[in-house]
Amino acid sequence: MVQHIQDLYEVLSKVDGYVYPNEIELNWSILIVLYPYITGLVAGAFILASLERIFNLHVLRPTYGIALLTALSFMLVATMPLISHLGKPFRAYEIMITPHLTSAMAIFGFVYLWYLMVVLLLEIWFDYRRDMVVWAGETKGLKRFLYKVLSLWTTDISPKAVALDKKLGYIVTVIGVPSAFLLHGYVGFIFGSIKANPWWSTVLMPVIFLFSAIVSGIALVMLVYIVLTRIRKLSIDMACLDMIASYLFYILIMDFVLEGLDQIHRIYEAEESFEVLHNLVFGRLFFTLFIMQGLFGTVIPLLTLGTLQFYKPKALIRKGIYLVVSVLILVGIFFMRWNVVIGGQLFSKSFYGYTTFKIGLIGTEGYLMAAVWLIVPFLILSFLLWLLPPWKKHEDDPDVQVN
Amino acid sequence: MPQQIKRLVTAFAVFILMFLVLQQVLKPNSFGKLGHYRAMAIQENEARELHYAGSARCTKCHDEMHTDKAAGFHAQLQCEVCHGPGLKHVLYADKFKDGKLPDSLKLHKPDTRKECAICHQLNAARIKIVFDTVNNSMIKQVNALKHNLVDKHTKEELKCIECHNPHQP
Ligand code: HEC
Ligand code: HEC
Ligand code: HEC
Ligand code: HEC
Repeated sequence: MVQHIQDLYEVLSKVDGYVYPNEIELNWSILIVLYPYITGLVAGAFILASLERIFNLHVLRPTYGIALLTALSFMLVATMPLISHLGKPFRAYEIMITPHLTSAMAIFGFVYLWYLMVVLLLEIWFDYRRDMVVWAGETKGLKRFLYKVLSLWTTDISPKAVALDKKLGYIVTVIGVPSAFLLHGYVGFIFGSIKANPWWSTVLMPVIFLFSAIVSGIALVMLVYIVLTRIRKLSIDMACLDMIASYLFYILIMDFVLEGLDQIHRIYEAEESFEVLHNLVFGRLFFTLFIMQGLFGTVIPLLTLGTLQFYKPKALIRKGIYLVVSVLILVGIFFMRWNVVIGGQLFSKSFYGYTTFKIGLIGTEGYLMAAVWLIVPFLILSFLLWLLPPWKKHEDDPDVQVN
Repeated sequence: MPQQIKRLVTAFAVFILMFLVLQQVLKPNSFGKLGHYRAMAIQENEARELHYAGSARCTKCHDEMHTDKAAGFHAQLQCEVCHGPGLKHVLYADKFKDGKLPDSLKLHKPDTRKECAICHQLNAARIKIVFDTVNNSMIKQVNALKHNLVDKHTKEELKCIECHNPHQP
């Protein structure tokens, strides 16, 4: 029985002040940090692709296909952190076959399905259908079979059919933009609507999540594009890259302002929870919030990208800067999710105490597991780029160069 | 209807059909009987091993501790907060005639300074909040490293319970 006293001591060494028993252990750990992070990347990458399509921004053309495939590879993995977090691999599928219409958590199933099946897959399908039919004729064996299955055994590539593909694809893109907003707005809503938690409960949450999602998605596509041209030993399209960077800059400003507004609002209101949050921010969250998210993830990229709007160094240097900035932003947004998810559980709802978050290397909630769900999307992306290379697509307007 | 639309509609139809079939096959039997969850989950939780008995069940055999405690400052504490989970003890303690319990049934006696300090140690982070809203009392804090640490005459370390009765501090 002495064991239980020892356990109690160990547990109490993790907390400061008064904490309710069910708050000592964090229930939502790193996998739940990954979930909004990955969904955000999907929404952001998709929105970048849609910009090209809807506003006909031909400069962005080289990243269109990459952005779509990136969105798809991350989308396919988006549920995995949740499912592995549930920790019942043999029952996990049950959440998908027992839909629920009024539970905010369960609505994810609908949002996800809508976005994956109706938006992403359809858009990519319409975009690639003609090419898949063509490629099916040019290849052999398994690849040929894959193309046949993926094109649903269609064969019609007459100009009329292709024009229809284009038109439908455009409609799907138009539906897709609000859907992408919905997807990530929803994830923000999940946190923003928890009124018992003053760190989460704000109506701005969906909007903040959305803008940070767009920021991270654009940064990801930029990174993938730079790395990919490097691997394929091609010269990069600087006009496209500069354009993406300026979008990144503007949206980063909005994201920064929104988050600042949220904090100012909180500080000015100074509700009863203010003290505990103040200590949280300057204590346990100081490093991840001010250093990782604020300094590295926001201020440095903002200043660099801002400078590049007026002063343009040589292409090679700019490329290097973009590479570093995109990585910084990706890390910064990861810590933004971290600060929301983990930060919201570090203080007691009694407002009189704090607990600590410990994370292991291995185990179902450890770093390795999280790393797996961050690496798998890139494997899927490599496969998709091999199967559906955007640079091999047959283009009709000859004036647009696709590399 | 254009070919690709036909194929798409078929594909979606197949997908939805597959979903409906899978749902029928895979849905747990007891799902939905009582609400939007597996009714079996209740039984499964019931079947889990119990560890705690609750203070009320200690009274049967340890009447005096109970009356002591009820009259003192520790009245609000559960016996098992200090003594550890005691369901087995409650169930089997009277099976031993001479009162000699095997070790596995014995409960812990938290008689060290450390153990009282779990709740009473001076802790700046623990602002003094009202513990018992009915009597408006607080959990008093002492510095266990100083408060009556050694006996003035024998110079030996004193246990808290040498001066405070744990059941009626
Ligand atoms: C069925 C009767 C019974 C019940 C109910 C019961 N006990 Fe006991 N308890 C005993 C007996 C018998 C002993 C051993 C005789 C003794 O040492 O006095 C004992 C001894 C103890 C001891 C001293 C152990 C030791 O090593 O000296 C503690 C502490 C104790 N019980 C706590 C509790 C608590 C707490 C509960 C309620 C969860 C409880 N008991 C319920 C019968 C009972
Ligand atoms: C604040 C912590 C605390 C609480 C609450 C508490 N006890 Fe104890 N109990 C102790 C300590 C410490 C001892 C050891 C006393 C000693 O060794 O003289 C003890 C000893 C005992 C003993 C053994 C007495 C002996 O003479 O060996 C019994 C039986 C017991 N407690 C029963 C209970 C019961 C029943 C309750 C609930 C009504 C209870 N205790 C609540 C701390 C507690
Ligand atoms: C589980 C937490 C807990 C443990 C362990 C605990 N106590 Fe307490 N103690 C309390 C609480 C709560 C009160 C205040 C109850 C009230 O004022 O209504 C209290 C009150 C007291 C008081 C009265 C203080 C006053 O108001 O004058 C003393 C003395 C005391 N405890 C001594 C001890 C000793 C000695 C031990 C170790 C055997 C101990 N406590 C273990 C929770 C605990
Ligand atoms: C030498 C006997 C002695 C020992 C040993 C002792 N105390 Fe005390 N304790 C007292 C006396 C006498 C008082 C009341 C006078 C006072 O407030 O200092 C008291 C008061 C308290 C109070 C109430 C303080 C307040 O602010 O009113 C608490 C709580 C307490 N003791 C806990 C403990 C704990 C925990 C231990 C063991 C770490 C312990 N005591 C050891 C004699 C003792």
